[in-house]
Amino acid sequence: MDYLTKCFKMKPFKIAIIGTLVALSVATNYALIGVYNVKLIDFIVFVGGFCFGPLIGASIGILSWLIYGAINPYGFVPQVWLTTMFAESIYGIVGGFLGKSLASTEFRGQHIRLSVFFATMGFLPTVLYDLVTNIVYAYSFDVPVIVALLTGAPWTVLHEVANATIFGVCSVPMIMALGKLPEGLRHDLLRK
Amino acid sequence: MTFLENKWFLVSLVVLCWAISTSFMAGYYYFQYTDFYAKVRGVIISANLGINYGNSSEVVWFNNTKINAGATLLDLTRLVASVNYTGMLNSINGVPNSYPKYWMWWTWSGFGWSFGSFACDKYIVGENETLLWYYQDVSTWPPSPPP
Repeated sequence: MDYLTKCFKMKPFKIAIIGTLVALSVATNYALIGVYNVKLIDFIVFVGGFCFGPLIGASIGILSWLIYGAINPYGFVPQVWLTTMFAESIYGIVGGFLGKSLASTEFRGQHIRLSVFFATMGFLPTVLYDLVTNIVYAYSFDVPVIVALLTGAPWTVLHEVANATIFGVCSVPMIMALGKLPEGLRHDLLRK
Repeated sequence: MTFLENKWFLVSLVVLCWAISTSFMAGYYYFQYTDFYAKVRGVIISANLGINYGNSSEVVWFNNTKINAGATLLDLTRLVASVNYTGMLNSINGVPNSYPKYWMWWTWSGFGWSFGSFACDKYIVGENETLLWYYQDVSTWPPSPPP
C-alpha cells in the first residue's frame, strides 16, 4: 500500500524517467539478443536505483523483465520468468542503497576508485543473480543444482565480467549525465 | 563513504571478485574433466614403455602395450614389471633406488627426451606415447637424458 501511495504521489518527471529506463532496458535486451549474457539491463536498473532509490530501482528491474520475459525469444518458463523478474531487482536495490550512501560523500578526484568500486558492485550482485536463477532453472528442468551451476559457470563468469566492465566504465559518466537532468542534482557525485 | 578512501577495501573487493570467478571456472573444468574421464575410461589405448637398467644403453621395450585411457605411468609400469611403490617408486623388477642411482622417467617427443618432472602416479599416459624408466645417476642435477 505504501508502495502504491508513493507511486501515485510520484512526479510525472520521475514516472517518465522510469518509463524511459524500462523501455531502454527492454530495447537493449532485444538489440543484444545474439550476444549471450552481455546485456545493459542490469546496468540501467542499477543506475535507476542509484538515482531514484531502491524502490524505484527494483521497480525498473521487475517491470523490464515483466515485459522482456513475457515476450522472450528464448521461450517462456513461468517460474524462471518470475525469478528473473525479482532477481533483476537486486541491481536496483543495490544501486538505491549505494546512491543513498554516496549522496553525502565528496567524490572529486576519485573517478578511478569509483569506477573500480562500481565494477565490483556490478560483479557481486551478478553472482547472486546467477546463483538464484541457475538454482531455479535446475529445479524447473529437473537438473542437479551442482551440475547446473558448474556447466553454466563460463556463462556465469562471462555475465559477471561483462557487468563488471560495463558498471566500471559506464557508471560514473551515466550518473553524471542523469545528474544534469532536473532533480538529478541531489547527489554530490552528480554535481560534478 | 569512508571505505572508498581505503584502497585495501577496494583491493579486497577486486580479489573477492577474482576468487569467485576463478572458483567457478575451476569447478567447471573439474566437472568437464571428470565427465570426460568417465566417458573415455573404458577406451583402450596403446603406449610404449622402455626400461633402462643403467648398465648400458640397452633398453627393454614393451611396445604397443594396451591400457585403459586415463591410466597413469605407474599403472602402465605395473602391467609390464614388478613395482614397489609406497608413495614413491622404490624399485622396478627388484632393482631399488640407491644413491646415487634412482629410477627417473622420461617421455619422448619430437624434440627428444623430456624429463618427467612429477609423480608417475599423476602422469596420464597418452595414445601411442613413448615413455622410459631410466635407472640413472642423479648426483648431478639436472640428470642427463637417456642415451
